[in-house]
Amino acid sequence: MLSERVIVASLAVSALTTVLITIGIVFMLITQSAGFFRSEEVTLSGFLTDTEWTALQSKDLSRARFGIWPLLSGTLRVTVIAMVIALPLGLVTAIYLSEFASSRIRNWLKPTLEIIAGIPTVVLGYFAILVISPSLQWLSGGAFSTFNAASAGIAVGILCLPMVCSLSEDAMRAVPRSLREGAYGLGCTPFETAVKVVVPAALSGIISAFLLAFSRAIGETMVVALAAGTLPTLTADPSRQAQTMTGFIVEMIKSENEYGTVQYFSLYGVAISLFCITFAMTLLGQIIRRRFQESYQ
Amino acid sequence: MSFRTPSTIGLTLLVGLSLVSLSFSGCNSSNSESDGGSVSGSNLTGTIKINGSSTVLPISNAIAEKFREEYPDVTVSVDGAGTGNGFKEFQAKATDISDASRPIKSGELEKCQENEVEFVELPVAYDGLTIVINPKNDWATTLTIDQLKKIFVGDDAAKMWSDVDPSWPEKEINIYAPGTGSGTYDYFHEVVVGKSETDLRDDMSLNEDDNVLVNGVADNEFSIGFFGVAYYNESKDKLTAVEIVNPKDGLAYLPTSENIASGAYAPFSRPLFIYVSLTSMARAEVATFVDYYMENVSELCEKVGYVRLPTEIIEQGRANLENEATGTHYITPEGASRSGALADVFKAENLN
Amino acid sequence: MSGTPEMESSRPKALVSQDPDYLARSAIKRKKLSKYFYVLCVAIALLSVAILAVLLASIWMHGQSRLSGDLLRNAHSELKIEESGMWPAILGSLFVCGVCALFALPLGVGTAVFLEEFQPTNRLLRAIHGFVQLNISNLAGVPSIVYGLLGLTVFVYMFNVFGQIKVNESNGWEIVGAEHLYQVPTLNPGQVVFVPQTDPTVRSMTADEPFTAVDGDGTEIEVSIWEPGTPKPSDRDVRQNTVRKGAVGSLITRKSWYYFRLPFDKSFLAGGFTLALVILPIIIIASQEALRGVSPSLREASQGLGATTWQTVRNVSLPAAIPGIMTGAILAMGRAIGEAAPILVVLGATVAKTTGPQHLMDNAVTMPILIYNWAGRQQDAFQELSAAAIIVLLVVLLILNATAIFIRQKVQQSQS
Repeated sequence: MLSERVIVASLAVSALTTVLITIGIVFMLITQSAGFFRSEEVTLSGFLTDTEWTALQSKDLSRARFGIWPLLSGTLRVTVIAMVIALPLGLVTAIYLSEFASSRIRNWLKPTLEIIAGIPTVVLGYFAILVISPSLQWLSGGAFSTFNAASAGIAVGILCLPMVCSLSEDAMRAVPRSLREGAYGLGCTPFETAVKVVVPAALSGIISAFLLAFSRAIGETMVVALAAGTLPTLTADPSRQAQTMTGFIVEMIKSENEYGTVQYFSLYGVAISLFCITFAMTLLGQIIRRRFQESYQ
Repeated sequence: MSFRTPSTIGLTLLVGLSLVSLSFSGCNSSNSESDGGSVSGSNLTGTIKINGSSTVLPISNAIAEKFREEYPDVTVSVDGAGTGNGFKEFQAKATDISDASRPIKSGELEKCQENEVEFVELPVAYDGLTIVINPKNDWATTLTIDQLKKIFVGDDAAKMWSDVDPSWPEKEINIYAPGTGSGTYDYFHEVVVGKSETDLRDDMSLNEDDNVLVNGVADNEFSIGFFGVAYYNESKDKLTAVEIVNPKDGLAYLPTSENIASGAYAPFSRPLFIYVSLTSMARAEVATFVDYYMENVSELCEKVGYVRLPTEIIEQGRANLENEATGTHYITPEGASRSGALADVFKAENLN
Repeated sequence: MSGTPEMESSRPKALVSQDPDYLARSAIKRKKLSKYFYVLCVAIALLSVAILAVLLASIWMHGQSRLSGDLLRNAHSELKIEESGMWPAILGSLFVCGVCALFALPLGVGTAVFLEEFQPTNRLLRAIHGFVQLNISNLAGVPSIVYGLLGLTVFVYMFNVFGQIKVNESNGWEIVGAEHLYQVPTLNPGQVVFVPQTDPTVRSMTADEPFTAVDGDGTEIEVSIWEPGTPKPSDRDVRQNTVRKGAVGSLITRKSWYYFRLPFDKSFLAGGFTLALVILPIIIIASQEALRGVSPSLREASQGLGATTWQTVRNVSLPAAIPGIMTGAILAMGRAIGEAAPILVVLGATVAKTTGPQHLMDNAVTMPILIYNWAGRQQDAFQELSAAAIIVLLVVLLILNATAIFIRQKVQQSQS
């Protein structure tokens, strides 16, 4: 059975490749960002506390400020707006799909959501500058900048909606019929059954869906590169420009900044922070899902 | 479900293979097309690598596009990573030609000499660095260099328009500009700040996308920005160009073709260059391309929004090419940089 | 964590008041609330349909005027913006995604089979198994731009272990498919003859005496020398085979389609591999779901007949799971075609390429990059072209999605 052993071994190797990829990412991020963190002009405390980020704006290294907060605030603004849109809409749509919708409507609605999920992000970014941003400017009477956090956030929200919806729906469908029947038997209305029985029972799945959507929104790149603007600002105002962490990485790679300078390597410093945040989010999501998963056997 | 026993991994491979073979057949068809076109044309072949200024990029792209029609087998790859990065690759011998929207700096020249990269410096067109404002802006239509300094330079730069001139509105200034690695930024910096160390202010929106720069200014009454005249020429209906007061005669000029060519639009009219590696010039495809470049640049640069150079300067450049007259005109043997009008600097005796 | 505590909290109200009026009113209120909620649900569910409709309509209105044969046939053009097209980008996307599929599918399905079908037998293996599983979930959450950065270091530069690519000096480690020739200009302007390189260290040759050369098709021709000062041959065909004395032949590399060298540099191969990293977790997770969906009794039956685990996998589980795997793979390919950020990092944002990739090391433009580039231009024509290119991209995706849905429904029918 030599050939079978070879096959099994090659399968094991392919599984270990995935571990190799993670090691590769971590190794690459650490070695490359060393060029940033080792510089005398950069301190870790400055990176974590300074309130200005001028890697693209300052040519002179001694005057450049590397504080992650403006980029983080840009990312958070976009992400929070996206979540405000995606979470309630996605959850309600999921409730509708799992509790109320007839199979005919499901057959229409599910593919629609799948198409939205399949739209390339660069298309949503284009949609944000073509439709969302002008609409916001028109609605607010010109208070919004051309490139602003809100329009990017809305587009990212549209992007995350199908994800929240399908993951939450999966979780709700896993709740056994008997719980619903029990609730109806006690005289609950469909609303009460859905909100007071099914959603709490599927809560771990729903929360992990939220976390996954959150980390997807943080890592989203093309929408913010097109629609959010390029000025790092530390503010909560969604009508202004916002440079996010991913947006900065794209700008730095596209920009004419010289390779090998500390300013250039700062993109790896941002990338490693981004990786840590999304890593923590997905890990948390996994833990919640495994730890609190209901088993109805 | 019936269980036939296909080797499933084989099937998966098959799908992948058919995808690839599909793409290669597509490639072949395009290949034969280009072969068909080249029957009467040249059989010159090879690869030419160009990188550098994104301001010069449209010119080089236009030339490469025309060149391709006559020499279909030559691959010309043009990239626009910025003047600084262009020179960096040029020094590392990664490119044959470096596009530049400013002359080479002494540090870059030293690196070239260290790595034994000899080059011919060729001016190809004029650009007028254009300062633009929103059409609704009726106060800052004419600016002096001093006012520009107040708006653009240092951390204590004017936050409000009223900080520049008390009669102007008390509104925040939004600035849109190309990135710090671009020759445009460098040129603006040199003209407005001079040789000192002071940086331009660090709260500008920097972007390499012309759409971002143009729309950023076009959509906000209180915005100001600067970029090459070609961007402005494409969007004349959305933007207003600022008249710049020439420090020499005290008169204000717009960046029109005439004013740029005559030098009246000072100090913001500037020459654009290409730097050609001498080692690469020995290759027939590069020599042919550069020759073609100098022959057609005057006509093509106007198509992409720039201003043609006087014939004498183009001729001078072609002569340098012919004689393999290497080196730059902008740095003295002592390492100091020269500046001034192109016609004054671009002379054989200044060559170093 | 179950629903019971919530229901308890609603019980006291009913116990406290047994007043029939109150109960009736409360029931009406609750039913109304439920009704409102239902309406809200329908409205919000319709909202997503509306968003999709607005998106498609706005892009259609913006781009439909530019949908033409030119768009599909031509390449990007700076001089003739109106005639710009996306043919090289369509080819480029196909190539990149082909490589991506070739790399990601076997690896992804293999990993899924290993994780699902070969259950760990001891504690150590179980720990490794769990770790790999957790690792895959985390990989699925890594932003695609980080994969782009990884691809840049690993595939484009290969940590610089194979040296840097330099013009006039080094092409990296050329492994196969490269033919080095000296290119000597003839007396006809723009025409050259080729001489195969014999000594790999010599990068140029000088024509001093007659020599044998090959033309573009590889047929040998005798080349004679023209001494400046002597009469120049006037016949075009003779001039074609004549070079000036002292003419310098410079080195060119003729690349076959299988030209392969290290490092990959900015080639479509590097782009495809990078995209494979992005979609690998998606394929693994989808394949695992599909394998999990195969009824255990089938496996048990196979093993009961004496089949080994691998035989069971090959003959029973995989064939049963293939439709699910295919669906997941197609959806993942849809993701790969639309992905822009990693490609932007690996291949750069330039779009001036007039053909698809000509050899394995050739670079490529992909559709999302072209859209991104055009959307960043100020000219209205490019903005509209961008929308038109989006329509083309969406049609491609729609075809992919429709295939996936078709496969799924076919399977559901055959299973029921």
